[in-house]
Amino acid sequence: MNGLTHFLAMGGYARFLWPCYGITFAVVFLNIYWARRLNARARSEARRRLAMREELVLEEQA
Amino acid sequence: MNWTWFHRLGSPPHVYRLARTLTPWFAWPAALLIIAGLYGGLVLAPPDYQQGDGFRMIYVHVPMAILSIMIYTIMGVAAGVGLIWRMKVAHAVAASCAPIGASITVAALATGSLWGRPMWGTYWAWDPRLTSELLLLFLYLGYMGLRSAFDDLQRADRASALLAVVGLVDVPIVHFSVVWWNSLHQGSSLLRLGGPTIYTAAMLVPLLMMIFGFMLYFAAILLMRLRGEVLRRERTASWVKEALAT
Amino acid sequence: MNTTTAVLSSRADIPSALDVAGLALMRDLRLAFRKRDEIAQPLAFFAVVMTLFPLAITPELSRLREIAPGVLWVAALLAALLALEHLFRDDARDGTLEQYALSGRSLTWLLYAKTAAHWILTGLPLALVAPFAGMALGAPAHALGGIVITLAIGTFALSLIGAISAALTLGTRRGGMLLSLLTLPLAVPILIFGAQATDLAMRARSFAAPLELLAAFAVLGVTLAPLAAAAAVRISLE
Repeated sequence: MNGLTHFLAMGGYARFLWPCYGITFAVVFLNIYWARRLNARARSEARRRLAMREELVLEEQA
Repeated sequence: MNWTWFHRLGSPPHVYRLARTLTPWFAWPAALLIIAGLYGGLVLAPPDYQQGDGFRMIYVHVPMAILSIMIYTIMGVAAGVGLIWRMKVAHAVAASCAPIGASITVAALATGSLWGRPMWGTYWAWDPRLTSELLLLFLYLGYMGLRSAFDDLQRADRASALLAVVGLVDVPIVHFSVVWWNSLHQGSSLLRLGGPTIYTAAMLVPLLMMIFGFMLYFAAILLMRLRGEVLRRERTASWVKEALAT
Repeated sequence: MNTTTAVLSSRADIPSALDVAGLALMRDLRLAFRKRDEIAQPLAFFAVVMTLFPLAITPELSRLREIAPGVLWVAALLAALLALEHLFRDDARDGTLEQYALSGRSLTWLLYAKTAAHWILTGLPLALVAPFAGMALGAPAHALGGIVITLAIGTFALSLIGAISAALTLGTRRGGMLLSLLTLPLAVPILIFGAQATDLAMRARSFAAPLELLAAFAVLGVTLAPLAAAAAVRISLE
């Protein structure tokens, strides 16, 4: 346990170092989240456009 | 020399499929390298003579800083290609880069600030690197702001592409001015965001792993976003229908 | 109303790009002269902003003198930014800009003329008024010439760069704020070297070095900016 405490303390710099790493990995995971959200939105938008287009085609045929 | 592969990069459906296949090839090595780099940097590397364990912040700050500039360059080049050759895929690449680059620049600034506090005693200093990073963030935000000001995606693409290219030309000039400005006022030269006193292999190798790992990570995220951006720019139904089914 | 565009499209012997640019320049100057209060507004804004600093910081001239170059340049920058909105606004609205783009004459030269007119109407007066502001901030008499020169070149470079962002934000709704946000980071080198040159001038030291760099930026701007601005205008008119 002593080893872990020593590690987490980071020679006294813990209160700067861990937020540092925290922010970095927050950005890392945020970007993954944003990318997935963008794709989900793009796909649903594309589906909607396709559906509208097919509706128009059907209307023209009718 | 068969250039077909290059020409096909201009084809949205091809890029859409290719991006999906390639993403794991960047994502997994990125994760491995970053984890290995973290272990090497946080655990294996010995504390620095001057900065003690505090120098370990270098393992996130430097990759973020390098990446922020690299992404802007890629964004500018892609924008230029899109502008000159009117390639939708190129515009999609530029659009994908912006939010990634902006958030990474914020991370670079935040980590730089947190590193500065114990080393210089202040959360912020007008040293050349931090100031240039801040201006780079403004450039990113300006680009994103211009994009969102247009309703038409194509107009947004072209206008923001010009801005990105102009910005790209300006970035070296801005950096040069900031370095010059900083050197005038002697006090801050002591505050240069230097690294640890000696770079040993034990310190350097994890750093290189982190830098390279994050570059691969960026490639993976770019490919992910690229799919969405390409899809948004596609009007013709044929390949989209098929692509959505997969 | 537009004799200029009539000339551009109907003359059989084609005037050179330079002639056409000259015509555009005179047109802009003439039109602006009819709305003289619009010329005065950037100057008034400059004066107001410049006044805010002593009010916010201190009335002591000795302290103001320290920050005077910075204050002059920031105030000039802000005034120039506000004035940039007018660069294309009227011409875009009444279709003249479109005529320029379609005219088959070099849009780059025409924009260069417009930018030059804009500077003559805003930047140059600003540079000429600045010494008075400088004196109010404690600048010594020998520095006044330096203030005029540095601000004149600086505002010229600003007009050139600003033309690009003004053209880019032409079609957009929230143009003004966005224009400022886009122009400012690009204008940082001008600010840094310009303020430094003014500072050296106020200390009665040779300000040749930063002035030359500033002039170099202006020259670079002259060669490249109108090209970029022309491209931006075409994009906005698409």
